Amino acid sequence: MVRHVREFAQAEIAPLAPQLDRKPSFPWKTLKMMGELGLLGILTPEAYGGAGLDMLSYVVLLEEISAADASHGTIMSVTNGLPQQLLLKYGSEAQRQRYLPKLASGEWVGSFCLSEPHCGSDAAAMTTRAKKVDGGYLLSGTKAWITSGGEAQLYLVLAKTEPSAGARGVSCFAVEKTEGMVFGKPEEKLGQHAAVTTTLTFDRCFVPEENLVGSEGQGFSMAMASLDSGRIGIAALAVGIARAAFEAARDYAGEREAFGRPIREFQGISFKLADMVTKLEAARLLTHRAAWQQDRARRVTREASMAKLFASEAAAEITHHAVQIFGGYGYSKDYPVERYFRDARVTEIYEGTSEIQRVVIGRQIFKERVR
Amino acid sequence: MKIITIIKQVPDAEARLHPAEEGIDLDGVTFVIDGMDEYGVEEALRLREQGFDAEIIAVALGPQRYEEAIRTALALGADRAIHIETDTVLDPITQAKVLSNLVSEEEAELVFVGGKQADWDSAALGPALAEALGWPHSDWTTKLDIGAGTLTVTHDTDEGQEDLSLPLPAVITTQQGLNEPRYPTLPNIMKAKRKELKKLPLDQWGGVQAKTAVVGEAIQVRERLNRVIEGDPVEAARELVRLLREEAKVL
Repeated sequence: MVRHVREFAQAEIAPLAPQLDRKPSFPWKTLKMMGELGLLGILTPEAYGGAGLDMLSYVVLLEEISAADASHGTIMSVTNGLPQQLLLKYGSEAQRQRYLPKLASGEWVGSFCLSEPHCGSDAAAMTTRAKKVDGGYLLSGTKAWITSGGEAQLYLVLAKTEPSAGARGVSCFAVEKTEGMVFGKPEEKLGQHAAVTTTLTFDRCFVPEENLVGSEGQGFSMAMASLDSGRIGIAALAVGIARAAFEAARDYAGEREAFGRPIREFQGISFKLADMVTKLEAARLLTHRAAWQQDRARRVTREASMAKLFASEAAAEITHHAVQIFGGYGYSKDYPVERYFRDARVTEIYEGTSEIQRVVIGRQIFKERVR
Repeated sequence: MKIITIIKQVPDAEARLHPAEEGIDLDGVTFVIDGMDEYGVEEALRLREQGFDAEIIAVALGPQRYEEAIRTALALGADRAIHIETDTVLDPITQAKVLSNLVSEEEAELVFVGGKQADWDSAALGPALAEALGWPHSDWTTKLDIGAGTLTVTHDTDEGQEDLSLPLPAVITTQQGLNEPRYPTLPNIMKAKRKELKKLPLDQWGGVQAKTAVVGEAIQVRERLNRVIEGDPVEAARELVRLLREEAKVL
């Protein structure tokens, strides 16, 4: 399975990556192909049009796509990991029937709206309001950092139905793209340019009551629970970028000569490569372990955070070294490693910053009495 | 109707091959389904998708490792597979003889064979199989339409191309241009693991005696010339162009 997906990713996606970085556009064509192959509904059961595979398969495949292009990896991880997982776990049968086949086949791309301009890590401080009206809710407020904003057709939106109740006043809605939604212009980011990111403003946008996911007030705990699998996904994505950077550096070190021999024969380079590949493998193993445990229905809050923290920091370090091994060429856009370096940076930020991961891990140490 | 597509497994085109003491060192090399054979699988699938009622059987003759290539054919959409497993290296004429027995036994009416093996460049298997079966054959096929009991094909010739009409049963050898093979989908990759893969011994239809024996093999090894052109830059450039044109023949 991995071999087939690698072949697809390297032949169809990797060649587009430099162009998508310079002239960003949402990669619908390749996303449709990914949808046809089953890559956009990996975890969704076959009965809902997905591939029905487990988390371990998911992370292995996400690594392959991310190694070809991180933007594709991010879009894939959001639509697979958040909207589809939330609908599977908490959605009504009608919601699942209506949305899962569309998302799993790639006909639609799904998105997730939690952060707001003034709050990311402290998500419970959100101010987007869902006011109960006859037959549904009126959504008002602004969401930020929406992956696939304006392109996705389905948005899982968290908003307060009970503003005075804090985190317990948050509910989750499946919102189809409509005219009542205003998307900001795509953010100009350091990397992952094709994974378009926008703000999303609701101005008294009507959402029918059958689009409430779960029950009123359940939204925040649903979002937090789904973050475990989301974080394992970002860990896999970071491993993918890091692998691409390592492989590029490895090959370059064999080709580039200095002082009459390939630079890989110098310890300064070979030790760097040794550290890179060791960190890469360690990150991959933590990621696989978290996925494997989740497949066995174990709680993976700590394991998911550890994988995400370690893999994203490893990716930042490995891509940093890759640029160094390429020297001047590493700083040039003619070679891919500066893109890997930029693409990797956000893995330390989204789906919970490294700081938040440390908070979670620190808390879990005492909760679980980790030995 | 049954369609048989013959599958071979070859080293990945991107694999680095190293000459060994005798022949080639294939240690650590990735093997894949021969790209030429994928056109056959794809064409069979397309015929079925066009509404043509067919059972598609992937058939391979070769060592145990061929299994992975066979699974690829199943993942692409073949219904079942038959693997005549042997470590004996057989010439195409002998292979054709063995495969003709299988084709007859299965009562297949259409057989696809890759136009040319990606590893040893042999293009003999398709024509030899048609000969062994006494069936019509179209080589280097780039277009195929199926009617009631007949095929209309376009195939390449030395001068250009020609259109042929041939009755079924027939053997078709495939090549680039016939179609664009698909990638297997994740659900089909999973299903392929549960599809039937029947193993048969080489001597299923009696003893097999290879008509030729391989006594040695070698691959072309490209080596750097390490030639440096000295002297005046203008003269050196002229000399370089001459070498590129007359010796390397790349200009």
